[in-house]
Amino acid sequence: MKSRIVSLALLAMPLPLAAQVRASELGTVSQVIDGTTITVEYSRPRARGRTQLFGTKFVRWGETWTPGANYATTFEVSKPVKLEGRPVAKGKYSVWMVVRQDSNWTLVLEPKSHLYHMEPPDSSTSQVRIPVRARAAPFTDVLTWSMPEIRMDGGTLAMDWERIHVPISIAVEPSLITTLSASDAEAYIGKYVFSEKDSTGKEKVSAFTITHENNTLKGRWTPDDPYMKKFALIRIGPDTFAPGVYDEDGTLYEILKPDLVVEFKRENGKVSSFTIRDMADELWGTGTRKP
Amino acid sequence: MERTLNRRGFLGTMSATALAAVLSPRLANAAPAHPTPRPGITGAYVLKDKDLAKTPKLIPLFDSVRKIPEIVDGIHCNCGCTRPPEFYSLLSCFESKGMARDCVICQGQARLVVRLHQEGKTLDQIRAAVDAKFA
Repeated sequence: MKSRIVSLALLAMPLPLAAQVRASELGTVSQVIDGTTITVEYSRPRARGRTQLFGTKFVRWGETWTPGANYATTFEVSKPVKLEGRPVAKGKYSVWMVVRQDSNWTLVLEPKSHLYHMEPPDSSTSQVRIPVRARAAPFTDVLTWSMPEIRMDGGTLAMDWERIHVPISIAVEPSLITTLSASDAEAYIGKYVFSEKDSTGKEKVSAFTITHENNTLKGRWTPDDPYMKKFALIRIGPDTFAPGVYDEDGTLYEILKPDLVVEFKRENGKVSSFTIRDMADELWGTGTRKP
Repeated sequence: MERTLNRRGFLGTMSATALAAVLSPRLANAAPAHPTPRPGITGAYVLKDKDLAKTPKLIPLFDSVRKIPEIVDGIHCNCGCTRPPEFYSLLSCFESKGMARDCVICQGQARLVVRLHQEGKTLDQIRAAVDAKFA
């Protein structure tokens, strides 16, 4: 009897992490996009020589399957997001997929996040159920969640295993509104003389123009600044803006806050000048409206 | 073009921002509440010249902070490296361990606070400006 108790106690003792060798090791992918943290935690099954998994006894068509192993894969977001355009509240969910051979799969986010892979949840109104498309892809041995695409306002979360690739679009809540109405923009539009000092303290003068295009306030030096080119002026406070830099496709990809901040000054209610300061609040240059 | 050199400078500071964001999710999230300035707070513990021998360029900034403790003590530090209760406010960053000696975000916030205070802005207006730029 005593030896049985000792054996039971040994079994119950937690093993050190280093001693836990698992067929499907734990993995995590986490990404911050504009202040929203997106995290997928999962155990990573390996194909281990099995060339076909979907549509076999391993993952049957029609099955509600967790794209992972052991305990169900979890998906957690620190703020509300949209997956494939469907709203998903802040929180932690277990992740399931209804796998189908000839039609869209269904991504199921179940509020009960701690479920074993053998306990697929029944369909319920508390779940978020989203159609997703499974695509053919090169062979992936270890089930992999990743964020292969990141934009300023979201990205793509993807699951790859065997010859299946499931991309899921994510949109995050933007922390800043990049557009500005024509009436709000009017006060800033115009031509300015921009003065800055070079590294030797010598004054340099260039032209600076503010326009309103596609509902966005935009600034541009002449000649072009090679990095900024024509950039967005994104309002972060009263008469205070941060530059937003566009990529070659015309998509905003970076907001230089707090790196550079543009502060406009008014005289008699009218915008007359602006300063650009860096993160250390050092003055980079001053723009004065042309008469 | 000279602006390219400046850009190199601010890309360097951007790395510091990214590091701060990694160190603390607070930088990436919504603006946190600002602390209430402690009654009777003084700048007595703000580091002095002898503590800034390796960073003499910062002496004027520390001197400016020392003169307005009741304002700087009402500002939440967004650098992400500070944790209460040891760090109560931005003022704490300029005291004892003097993390502001090495942190460009602490320095930038303090310069902004000092400048806006000199321009006659209220504490609430200064807080709003700090949030707009750094939170």
